[in-house]
Amino acid sequence: MNAFLYAWRSLWRNRRRTLITLTAIALSIMLVQAFHNLAVGAYARMIDDGVRAGSGHLAVYRHGYLESREENLGFSPANLAAQIRAIPGVTKVLPRVYLPALAQSSHDSRGILLIGVEPEAELTVNPFLKGLSADAMLRDIDGRDAVIGKRLLDDLKLAVGRKLVVTAQHRDGTLHSELLRVRGVVSTGMPDIDGSLLMVGRQRAALLTGMQDDIHELAIILNDSDEEAFVAAAITPLLHDRPELAAVSWEKAMPNLANAIKLDYASQKFIFVIILLIVTIGVVNTLLMSVMERLREFGVVLALGSSPGRLRRLVLIEALLLGMVAAVAGCVLGALATWYLVDIGIDLKRFIPETLEFGGVVFDPVLRAAWDLAWMAKIALYVVGLTLLAALYPAIKAGRITPVEAMRHH
Amino acid sequence: MRGEALYLPLSPYASLLTDANMPLITLSNVYKTYRHGSLEVTALTDFSLEIAEGEFIVLAGPSGSGKTTVLNLVGGLDRPSAGAVTVGALEIASASAAVLADYRLRRVGFIFQSYNLIPVLTAAENAEFTLMLQGVPRPERRRRVTELFIELGIEGLEERRPGDLSGGQQQRVAIARALAAAPGVVLADEPTANLDSHTAEELLDLMRDLNRRRGVTFLFSSHDDRVIGRARRVVRLEDGRMVGDSTTNR
Repeated sequence: MNAFLYAWRSLWRNRRRTLITLTAIALSIMLVQAFHNLAVGAYARMIDDGVRAGSGHLAVYRHGYLESREENLGFSPANLAAQIRAIPGVTKVLPRVYLPALAQSSHDSRGILLIGVEPEAELTVNPFLKGLSADAMLRDIDGRDAVIGKRLLDDLKLAVGRKLVVTAQHRDGTLHSELLRVRGVVSTGMPDIDGSLLMVGRQRAALLTGMQDDIHELAIILNDSDEEAFVAAAITPLLHDRPELAAVSWEKAMPNLANAIKLDYASQKFIFVIILLIVTIGVVNTLLMSVMERLREFGVVLALGSSPGRLRRLVLIEALLLGMVAAVAGCVLGALATWYLVDIGIDLKRFIPETLEFGGVVFDPVLRAAWDLAWMAKIALYVVGLTLLAALYPAIKAGRITPVEAMRHH
Repeated sequence: MRGEALYLPLSPYASLLTDANMPLITLSNVYKTYRHGSLEVTALTDFSLEIAEGEFIVLAGPSGSGKTTVLNLVGGLDRPSAGAVTVGALEIASASAAVLADYRLRRVGFIFQSYNLIPVLTAAENAEFTLMLQGVPRPERRRRVTELFIELGIEGLEERRPGDLSGGQQQRVAIARALAAAPGVVLADEPTANLDSHTAEELLDLMRDLNRRRGVTFLFSSHDDRVIGRARRVVRLEDGRMVGDSTTNR
């Protein structure tokens, strides 16, 4: 018999109370783990969609472009794209040109964002182009094909196969126009993008401004977002002799999405803290009741020669055991819940529109979790720590007992 | 053999307890008052007593006469309001809480009226409790407790929980717990009050026998004539004062 055995048996004196407390702690761990994993899965999906349509996990820009979006801040990708493509973990390198322009049909005109892309590379990656059939996609980088947002198409009263003129300012200050033909229509679900998107071959876009082979963005898509730091480190030496360029992460290139995720997760964390606080109060109550019910026994233990410190330790060991059992049970439940959420997910189609926008990305109404094992372990350890913290007051109370008074207690 | 256990070098003050000419326990002009809210209750008034090593002594008196207070003072569970209580060289009033805890752990065995066994521990674990607190290794603890269980006639009950034992068996386990750490003094507060007369007499004979064979000093509190009748020395208390101190040749 040792202190751990004594504490373990003491824990089960009031089986029902201990089971209720254990269940409360385990369920709170499960809730926190499952909801965290669900958030991680949903954010990962949004980030993945966001980076594929937007700047990539990493992007190379000319200094100042991100802040000003001035079209004359382009750069020549030269052999940089090929060098980056050769870094392990890089899936695609997408050179892009972005131009504010005016689109005109025979019926109307609209201000647009003209995006010049390399069609073959974009097709397999860009979620905007996901639904497009081969005969609706841009054919080459200098052709007159255009893929247009659905709302812009309607505003300009165009149809597939019809022509439109795009006008943008040339580097020399004059206005240049290009004739384009609608080949495909995209519907992203985001009104702003659907009302302003016009995608053409990269070189056709460059012709409008006289950029020739220059681009504004080199978007880098990775196999796994966890490799971002490694790839960023591998890019840095490639830019040594191009000091005008910088590689930035998606968080910096797409601050709307990054901030929306941060804000959303902050509110989740707040809820997690409240859940854990409630559980901690429950543990304090259980342990305090357990101590108060055993005043006489504690008096006897002190009379037999135990020091108050030993009694305090005994209460802390009981809390530690309670926390550890609850953490194991909570992790099992959390893993089962996460397993379900990874496999089946939660379908929110009934509650939210399918085109709900979140931080500039269309929110997938079917939420699926992703495993974050390190965080699951961390939260379990936190709960064990909180249980110990909750035991401090009951332990101090136990340590203050005087044997004569305690043994009079019935 | 007499008093051997008391002189085991188990604590820093052990060497101070070796003067054979000194009484083992001395209470000199002790006063003890308790405060219950605004009410002050006097439990002992000018109480003096000397107890030699190896005595089998009963504090007799009605309920509220101060018997338990004397046991609490000698056991280091309480301190006198005035006067001195010394056990060997240990001055109870001035000892720190840590020294008193160590004193209770190594020098004194307690037997309580309602046994006060820990319900979640087995009989053997209860008996081992003070040895566990002392850090004695488990095999040695079990060896000592097994011997005691045989001596006390409760062998075979080691793995039973207190709730599965009769009152007499529980009190024997409590005696085993009191003796396991080989203390010099055993303090027993009304140890037979909850027992039937046959069991009570058996237990008293057992403790008397342990007193003779082990030389352990037994200090009882009781108003039970069976206990009083078996004591060599009887100290009578009334209203916190000593009203008699008689010795017989039993």
